[in-house]
Amino acid sequence: MNIENTQSQMRKGVLEFCILSIIKRAEAYPSDIIEEMKKANLHILEGTLYPLLTRLKNADLLTYRWVESQSGPPRKYFSLTDKGAEFYKELEATWNELANAVQQITQNGQLLTEPFTNFNQ
Amino acid sequence: MKKVININFQGRVIPIEESAYEELKKYTDSLHRYFAREEGKEEIINDIENRIAELFIERLKNNPAGCITDADINSIVSSIGRPEDFDADLNDSNESYSSKDAGSKAGSSAYSEPRGSLFRNENDKVLGGVCSGLAHYLKIDPTVVRILFALITFGGFGSGVLLYIILWIVLPAKQMQFNVRRRLYRNPDDKVIGGVCSGISSYFNIGVWIPRVIFTLPFFIGIIGNIFGNRWGHWDGFPDVVFGSFGGTLIVTYLILWMVVPFANTATEKLEMRGEKIDLESIKNTVQGEMQGVKGRAEKAGSDFKERAQEWGEEVRERSQAFASQAGPVARRAGSSIGHAVGVLFKAFFLFIAGMIAFGLLIGLMALIFSGVGVFPLKAFVLEGFWQNAMAWGTLILFLGVPIIATVIWLIRRISGVKSKNNYLGYAFGSLWIIGWVCVITLGGLISRDFKRTGYVDEKISIMQPTGARMLVDVGDLPGKYYGMVWFDDDHDNDFPGLSKDEDSMLLNTVRIKVVRSKDDLYHVYQRKLARGNSPAIAEQTASEVSFPVRQVDSLLILPKGFTISKESKFRNQQVLVVIEVPVGKAIRLDHSLNRFDWFSINTGRRRFDDEFDDWDNSYSWMSDTWYVMTENGLDRMYKDDNNDNEDDRNSEWKLEKNKEGGQYRYHKDGDTIDIKIKDKDTTVNIKLKTSVEINDDSENEKEGEDATAMEVMPEKKEQKSYRGSMISVMDLIKVGTR
Repeated sequence: MNIENTQSQMRKGVLEFCILSIIKRAEAYPSDIIEEMKKANLHILEGTLYPLLTRLKNADLLTYRWVESQSGPPRKYFSLTDKGAEFYKELEATWNELANAVQQITQNGQLLTEPFTNFNQ
Repeated sequence: MKKVININFQGRVIPIEESAYEELKKYTDSLHRYFAREEGKEEIINDIENRIAELFIERLKNNPAGCITDADINSIVSSIGRPEDFDADLNDSNESYSSKDAGSKAGSSAYSEPRGSLFRNENDKVLGGVCSGLAHYLKIDPTVVRILFALITFGGFGSGVLLYIILWIVLPAKQMQFNVRRRLYRNPDDKVIGGVCSGISSYFNIGVWIPRVIFTLPFFIGIIGNIFGNRWGHWDGFPDVVFGSFGGTLIVTYLILWMVVPFANTATEKLEMRGEKIDLESIKNTVQGEMQGVKGRAEKAGSDFKERAQEWGEEVRERSQAFASQAGPVARRAGSSIGHAVGVLFKAFFLFIAGMIAFGLLIGLMALIFSGVGVFPLKAFVLEGFWQNAMAWGTLILFLGVPIIATVIWLIRRISGVKSKNNYLGYAFGSLWIIGWVCVITLGGLISRDFKRTGYVDEKISIMQPTGARMLVDVGDLPGKYYGMVWFDDDHDNDFPGLSKDEDSMLLNTVRIKVVRSKDDLYHVYQRKLARGNSPAIAEQTASEVSFPVRQVDSLLILPKGFTISKESKFRNQQVLVVIEVPVGKAIRLDHSLNRFDWFSINTGRRRFDDEFDDWDNSYSWMSDTWYVMTENGLDRMYKDDNNDNEDDRNSEWKLEKNKEGGQYRYHKDGDTIDIKIKDKDTTVNIKLKTSVEINDDSENEKEGEDATAMEVMPEKKEQKSYRGSMISVMDLIKVGTR
């Protein structure tokens, strides 16, 4: 099993959650999101973020408004819709469950031979 | 030293080095390719370009005199990321975000096997995305897989459908990126017929002449084969068989590609057509790599599939357990899985039904247009004047042709996944079809006007009174050959209505025989010719043009087998009514060949023509091949003492062969034959008997025969005798003989 592959999957699952939680806190511009995630040492490319945001927006989880900027073209500021907030809540519950479970299992010192393959079964 | 150009990028003027501009262009093109199949493609690319513009402006602010350099582009691109990097990062989170798909994500495999697994592609589908998913898995063009599937379906008696449905149910759906660098397009810029060859040449990066030569080779070989036909003669048609079918296959292939493969219209599509980094060398490498990987891949696909099936089975089991336990999310997911399967089955079923209906409609339309084309030579017999002809053409092309063309275009678009942005084509077809309807209705109106009124002409046919108080009615032949029209050809004897060889006249057999009681003690024959027209006078005129000559040979009344109408006199439902008046006490027999007359009436007028047969109201029904005697009460069977069945049997058992040229007739049953030869222009008849049947050489024959002394009857086999006598007595003889 490829370690990078596993790592990227682990990251991937939480990326959306993180992005939504940043947007939930306050209206956000994509560069802000990148910056904030970078601060938390979670790197994401803009080329990955934009399509992701568009898809979330097309799924009615996000909405945006144009904001004039002094430094260049107008920017899109994203915020959560009601549906998005609900979606976020469910993700949050799942995350807490998972975090607890992982915590408990790893604390008990159980050996994970096949980590996370049965994540959501 | 570098050239600097100004570009308008996202509404800003940006000074940029030319080489940097090239880089930027390449980068945005790569984005276009990468997001080609993404739903919000324009928006995503716009967002990214917007961001790039913002970064440009930032840089230019720090260095107001400067311009965007290669280094700037490189750093910006690497901060945003190249498509290759997207892949490595978050590609597989591109799964369904839309809530409707949230439930259908199947199990763990979506996460444990993020790449190279079989899925249905949600982003690019015709039915369920199975073909496109397979194509994604094999990294080939979905069009190719679709064509293959279509071939399997048509060639494998529908097994493709079953396979498709199973895959549809078992494979989970997933929104997938388009992973083929190069697609098969037709090239609109360089085409001879459909641009197929040049598209293929772009796909394989070979000279455009290569596919062209391959596709045209069979023709050249065929031509050469014809030229050197003599030399190849002893090969027994080798070039024909091999290259003929080979060439046929190639033509079909070309046509299918022409239909299924879309044109590369936009710049992106043209880029996809030419692709990147693929040449013969890389294909070779890929193929070599594939060949080694194929086994593993196939095994993997097999195990994937098995795993899916097992998972699915497990979920079904879980589902049933869940009913008992009312357990949470797992059950819900499994439930949606079953719902999914049922939904797919229903969808497949309805698509199948809809497809069948559509197919049936298409076939019906085809049949209509073919019959339309087939009936078209007849239009000269029906249509009159410019307007009727114009409307007929309008009906054929607009009313029948347009739906077929529209259906074909729709099918092609559906297969090739082309979606038109506007509906002009639809509106155009719709309005053309409406015009077609107008043509149909107008044509119907115009034609029905010509069938509104009836006119008729009566004619008395002078006959000589037959000897022997008996009359036989038969059908004779007409000069000239008439060919039955194929589409009416349910039985081969039927050549009505028939066309003459030069299609100049048409043979009709709308003839009816009426038998009535004569007012005096003579036979009389009348004929009434009927036709239709816009007014009674026109109808009468048309009716009088019908020629139906009745001949008489002593007691034999010979009717023509039909009458002809010419293109000038037109078809106006001409009919001939032959009325035979039989005096009381005399006999008549109507041959079964009269049954071949057909009678039909077309009446488009309001007024029914009721007084049609008033003059001969006292007509009687008759059966063919039966002797009747006229009595005061109507027709009476002459041999009603017979067991009816028995007589019918005999009638059917004795078969008649006619040698029309020589006036020879032969009746035969089992080993018995009776040869009849008409000599001396219808007055002398020779009969040869070769029969075991006992012939009554009794008074009845003597009585009837005019020249009874010349009649000798020998019942023994192998002996042949000649009879002389009139036709009627000969028929009697046979009648008696077979009794």
